[in-house]
Amino acid sequence: MSQILLSILTFGCLFSVLTLSLNLQYARGGMINFGIVAYFAAGAYAYAIFTQEPPKGLDQYLFGFGAPWWVGFLAAAVASMLFAIITGWPTLRLRGEYLALTTFAFAEMLHSVLLNERRIGNGSVGLSNIERPEIGWMGIPEGYVYAGAAIILMLGTALVFRRLLASPYGRAVDAVRDDETAAQAIGKDVARLRFQVFVISAVPIGLAGALYAMITTLVSPDLFTAEVTFFVWMALVLGGERTILGVVLGTLALVGFQEIVRAIPYESVRTAQLAKSVEVMLTGVIFILVLRWQPFEALGRRSKKA
Amino acid sequence: MSGDLLVIDRVIKRFGGLKAVGGDAGLSFSVPRGAFLGLIGPNGAGKSTTFNLISGVLKPDSGSVTLDGHNLSLAGAAKIASYGLGRTFQTPRAFPSLTVLENVTVGCDNRGETIASVALGRWRSAERELREKAREVLDRVGLSDRVDDSVGNLSGGELRMLEVARQLVRDPRILLLDEPTAGVDPTLQTKLSKILVDLHAEGCTLVVVEHNLHFLMQIADSIVVLQNGELLSQGSPQAIKSDEKVIAAYLGSEHAT
Repeated sequence: MSQILLSILTFGCLFSVLTLSLNLQYARGGMINFGIVAYFAAGAYAYAIFTQEPPKGLDQYLFGFGAPWWVGFLAAAVASMLFAIITGWPTLRLRGEYLALTTFAFAEMLHSVLLNERRIGNGSVGLSNIERPEIGWMGIPEGYVYAGAAIILMLGTALVFRRLLASPYGRAVDAVRDDETAAQAIGKDVARLRFQVFVISAVPIGLAGALYAMITTLVSPDLFTAEVTFFVWMALVLGGERTILGVVLGTLALVGFQEIVRAIPYESVRTAQLAKSVEVMLTGVIFILVLRWQPFEALGRRSKKA
Repeated sequence: MSGDLLVIDRVIKRFGGLKAVGGDAGLSFSVPRGAFLGLIGPNGAGKSTTFNLISGVLKPDSGSVTLDGHNLSLAGAAKIASYGLGRTFQTPRAFPSLTVLENVTVGCDNRGETIASVALGRWRSAERELREKAREVLDRVGLSDRVDDSVGNLSGGELRMLEVARQLVRDPRILLLDEPTAGVDPTLQTKLSKILVDLHAEGCTLVVVEHNLHFLMQIADSIVVLQNGELLSQGSPQAIKSDEKVIAAYLGSEHAT
């Protein structure tokens, strides 16, 4: 049981980082990003490539730098940021649904490249030689250390975003989302502000990708499909935009539900398949109920504005 | 320094095939430094389009707009605002997710709006001054008791005054007001008229689009009349009131003096 709780906490906090970033982009920046998985993948692959050993024998990938974990994290942040710059620059002038489509297309492109290009990420097999750092620290089991790291990453992200948005900068970002024309009439550089928000929010996503790679010790294209993007969007809708607590609770609830369903022992493959269908249906039902009563958003509102 | 602050030179703007502003020769007029210019004309004359062309919301198809030597036809709206040009909109625009006070402080050109200053926490002291200034301006436009209110609770007239306040806090060198008295009650109109006269006395150049001619003729020192996107007449309020062409096109005979 504690194993489930630990993994809910770890992955819940880890995915909360993604939801928080999406919340910044969407609820505050007014940008619809349907390719959020790509920034997550960029971080995870960057971590893997920088920390894994150089290729030997039959390995088809070309790069491996054997760097320490913190270099991997730095590389992940930079990779995700670079991908945001490359994808954000040409697209951020687009409105609403057009931006949604182009970000989705960019994510699919990255996914195809990772799937087919063996020299970077070993193609569909992925990279599995990621070493975990020695963190059997002061007798604390590894699982707890990773949960702690996920919590710290989530809290750090929430704090940085809060600080940014509680400032005149956040006020300008809100103004741009509310009314671009009026914001320009008071000298706000709409393109610059939107671009900055997009790029800043990609950094924690990259770091979450690195932590994810570190925990799973494997990155492969099927871990980074559009399903991740929709998962994060679902968590955001569940938690309700605009409150940090709501966003985190929404993500924890969604991850919790999946982990619990996954942990049920099944006696046959058939029951497992059945359970999978029931899970999808139940997710839908819970989704409707939550949208009707918005409990997480209400809780979040009682605490503070994100 | 004297001379023209704003020069509109042979500007043409088309929407589809139709000429919205400029006719064949293009629209030309200039606004001297320190002027208080009224811009009038029948509905569809191109007054708001002219404002949009000056403030960068629209780009002219040909011709140029120059503000104190800066070529505005090449600059974006935000850049133009940073040259010291303020404007309000025909339909008042507010930022609904910000409070009344924030709707004004957001207008300030603010060094706190960079990531570096947020990271270093340098904006807090400047912010106190901004709030102080914003409160003063809100007091001036008669919204001092609505400071912490949500803009959703403001009436149409109050929204208009809020928009004026947001521009005032920027200390514009030239302010374009698009129908500032529409939906504003007589008491506020008197207040607005005093604000504009004071602003003018302080050296701010004003261009005001207005259908309330009683309001405008009292305070403007010159009038430009547009019709079908072209300059119909230009002169002092007295001269305009007795101009046959203007009476025929816009004023109607009861305004003739």
